[in-house]
Amino acid sequence: MSVLADPSLEQEVTLLELVDRVLNKGVVLRGEITLAVADVDLVYLGLNVLLASVGTLERIELEAV
Amino acid sequence: MIALYAVALELVDLPAVTGVDGAAIARIRSRGLDLVFSSHDAPAAASDRAVLEHARVVDAVAASAGALLPARFGHGYEDEAALERAAAAAAPALRAQLERVRGCVELGLRAVGPGAGEPPAARSGREYMERQRARVGECDRLVRDIDGPLLSLAKQGTRSMASQPRFSLAASYLVEPARIPAFRRRVAELERAHPALAFACTGPWPPYSFAEIEA
Repeated sequence: MSVLADPSLEQEVTLLELVDRVLNKGVVLRGEITLAVADVDLVYLGLNVLLASVGTLERIELEAV
Repeated sequence: MIALYAVALELVDLPAVTGVDGAAIARIRSRGLDLVFSSHDAPAAASDRAVLEHARVVDAVAASAGALLPARFGHGYEDEAALERAAAAAAPALRAQLERVRGCVELGLRAVGPGAGEPPAARSGREYMERQRARVGECDRLVRDIDGPLLSLAKQGTRSMASQPRFSLAASYLVEPARIPAFRRRVAELERAHPALAFACTGPWPPYSFAEIEA
């Protein structure tokens, strides 16, 4: 299975996971991200082990500003 | 009002980070528990930035505490006295949770399946129900296949599953750091065994999914 090397998707999934944890279990505030992930042809989507710390996310956010 | 970030044990120093909206963080020590909070004129609105600011404080406190229970964003109290009263009332339960998560991190797992597509119209109510039952049974089997091998590497786990509109599993595991490599290898094995599913393994996180700060 191929590994999807799309940094922006990794960032989105990681942010979704963080928001989900910090706000509450099961809160789907950013459900559109989950759907966006699932809309990618899943045969080609192999999100591999994903690592990000909050520090990484902050850098991402600062770079985006 | 007071916004709580974490309940910790053996917090040496308050880390040099600011809280949500740049507020200074402070702590109260009560019955051996360190309560880390900031004061605000009004509750902060949930935004990506505010959530990151909250998570940054939790991460920093986790790095200098013996054990930590993260509070959810927006877990607020009227004032310091109210926070202290609530923590005192819940102290035994909080302490038990802190001992359970001590030395462990949380790993997250999501597994998402392809959409099932529009099924052909059922000819009868019975046929519809039987299809639904088969679909849920298939998803339950997938959860067991994925969750079982991961749970055996964890101290504890939580999971929630949806079968519609597509299979979707969201699970969290409380894992000793030494077992993280084995956990990731097992996720990779599951990924190979289930090529139709997309997997995302995230973390390590502070143990958000294993903290119940009801107070």
